[in-house]
Amino acid sequence: MNGIFEVNYAAFSVFAALLITEIMGAVVLLVAWPARSKVLDYLVPIWEVTGTFGAFWVVTGGFAYPALLVPVATIFTPLLIVFLILWVARGASIAFAEFITKRGWLDEARLFRAYAISTLVLGLVVLVLLSSLVGGQGVDLSSGSFSIFSWLTAGSLTFMLGTLFLAVGLAPVFFDLPSLKRLVLPLVGFGAGLSTFSYWLMSPDLLTVWMAVPIFLTLLAGALYLWPKTTRLVANKAVFLAVLAIVIFSLQSLVYPKAIGQALAIDSVTTVGAMADAFLSITAVGGLLLVVMLVLYMRVAAKGPSGPDFPRATAG
Amino acid sequence: MAVDPATMLSFVRFLFAFTIGSHILLVSTSIALIFLISISEFLSIRRRDPTYEALARKLSKIFIISFGVGTASGIVMAVELVGLFPTFMTLVASTGAMVLLYAEISAFFLEVLALVLYVYYWNAFKGRYTHWVVSLFVAAGTVASAVFITMLNSWMNTPTGFDAATFVSSGFKTITEVQPFAAFLTASTANQVFHVLATTLFAGSMVIGAYFAYWYIKSRDGDEKAMYSRALKILGAMAMITIILSGISGSEQMGNLLVNQPLKYAALDGNAVPGTNLPDRFFGSIVGGAYVGGISVPGMQSLLARFETGLTNLPGLSQFPASTWPPLLVTTTFNLMTVGGLVLGLFLLVYFVSLIRRRRPYESRRMLYLWIPAAILGMLVYQLGWATDEVGRQPWIVYNIMTVAQAANTSDALLVPGIIIIIFYLAVIPATFYFYSRVFNGSKAREGIAA
Repeated sequence: MNGIFEVNYAAFSVFAALLITEIMGAVVLLVAWPARSKVLDYLVPIWEVTGTFGAFWVVTGGFAYPALLVPVATIFTPLLIVFLILWVARGASIAFAEFITKRGWLDEARLFRAYAISTLVLGLVVLVLLSSLVGGQGVDLSSGSFSIFSWLTAGSLTFMLGTLFLAVGLAPVFFDLPSLKRLVLPLVGFGAGLSTFSYWLMSPDLLTVWMAVPIFLTLLAGALYLWPKTTRLVANKAVFLAVLAIVIFSLQSLVYPKAIGQALAIDSVTTVGAMADAFLSITAVGGLLLVVMLVLYMRVAAKGPSGPDFPRATAG
Repeated sequence: MAVDPATMLSFVRFLFAFTIGSHILLVSTSIALIFLISISEFLSIRRRDPTYEALARKLSKIFIISFGVGTASGIVMAVELVGLFPTFMTLVASTGAMVLLYAEISAFFLEVLALVLYVYYWNAFKGRYTHWVVSLFVAAGTVASAVFITMLNSWMNTPTGFDAATFVSSGFKTITEVQPFAAFLTASTANQVFHVLATTLFAGSMVIGAYFAYWYIKSRDGDEKAMYSRALKILGAMAMITIILSGISGSEQMGNLLVNQPLKYAALDGNAVPGTNLPDRFFGSIVGGAYVGGISVPGMQSLLARFETGLTNLPGLSQFPASTWPPLLVTTTFNLMTVGGLVLGLFLLVYFVSLIRRRRPYESRRMLYLWIPAAILGMLVYQLGWATDEVGRQPWIVYNIMTVAQAANTSDALLVPGIIIIIFYLAVIPATFYFYSRVFNGSKAREGIAA
């Protein structure tokens, strides 16, 4: 076991879980605007936390794999530029949308839609990046470059579709939308099947027995929502986020011990010596601080948002 | 069309300077803002004053926008650093400098979670003081982030915590004897952190104050005026305290340069040759190995750098190879910064005198009209300070170890993305300040006070 990889991958799992729930929310904002209040109650406090976990993943990545920092940045320069622009657009549009009053053509609805579109496209960019890190699609390690045309393979496209089906299928669970209940299991089942098939298309070696864990947990989340006794449990935001993060964490065999189409041995590029010790000790201290703050957050958040002059419930 | 590496190097320098210069506008206002919010809320509880509470609530919305755009911009800069200066970032990632970035992220978590609790769950706290304490956590996170990033800059000025000789002799390939935590306290860290915090808070206070000064002059609404004058009271106090701290810490900084970066010291003070009892000079230039023109104040240099008179041996450019000199433009930027700081000090002295004579300077139209250009000057001086620090370290990116040219990626593939980033910032920064204003003025002051 590589402790440094585990820490970095755990940071990624939480970030990805938060981002996926934001993508689910973005879909609802775009296709079901009248149902926005449930979505905004979640999104408005959480988008800052998603960003922080994103930054946390990137920084721990730089710390964990110093030798990869420059090659990865060089290979993915075009994707990173698009990512950065969308990232700022996402942050700016939702921050403006939260507090803008209805004056002129730029109102809350337009800004929230701008946020939803930038988040969705951002999600697609992240999926392109992840499929390359898993299967190596589009990456030419010898020349240190990335080509979107080489990336367009059956494996990577199936990976994107599978993830999107899963996100759309789980959205009614996360935002507790009973009217869309019937869609949950078919979409989640189809999404899980497509995702598994995409791993096989990328490389048959990716399909290990461990794959059963995320598939089982994903289907279980969908099934529990349909059973009245467990609907509330699984629709609880904290429970759902925890399950989603565990599902993503259990997918680590896709990139460990080898990533980028089995071409890169993670252990060979992980930091060692005094820097590794520093990484783990700061993680312990920072992790403790994070847990304390999260517990405090959960305790206060359980009482519900309570700023009377924060008008998201009346948006649009 | 291929662009030659020398042109690309200039472009890379400009791109990063432009990005960080834009980012600094957001950061300085953010830091001052959280202090203003926290003090406003404290006064609202202490004095049972609903106007202060309404002010804190309105400003907390601005802080959310500032946080959203500021953190996204910070991530842009982090990725930009990897793309523009890959060799430098490889060194950072393998030494204690990375530990500072990691610590910064931990501070960031403190800030974001405390901020979410503070803003979105304002009324969920039974005790008003408990809610106010959360603002201190937000401020602690904000300040700690700034401190860790400044520590990284100090490490670039006075690098430590690895075997530099082996690193240089191996052609930047071998990094040995790494001491990850040494980067927390380099020779210049304490002085630089002190100076950066004081000046950042000062510049931010002046800029936010200018906004309130403008609206105070313009408004005819009594409730609004009451809110703006309260904000100006706090900001005036913050500006007066931080200008004094900026002066003290600036002098400390020069003393530190004298010991740890003598070449930078010589360039800043325009010392063509070393000597004792040298004058402080303003607005001249070095021509043919001698300082010509401008104004000289005899014997002032030692006094300002060390609080001594005439005893200190002061360095001169002639002691160092000309190839290692920074652009001598820094002499002028340093002079502008110093004189600008003195003018601001004078303005705040008048403000202080007016305050102790009970003339209410925070409600005086004359004083508030002056505040607006003073704030522009304050931000200019602050930016000049950073420019002086960074250009003064040239040609080095990591002092005496790695030059900017050695660290930079001069591929012309960066040209188009770089121009896109510049255009993007040109749109985002004004839009952000426009939204600050639109959101703050989005509701009437009396509605907030009544709530």
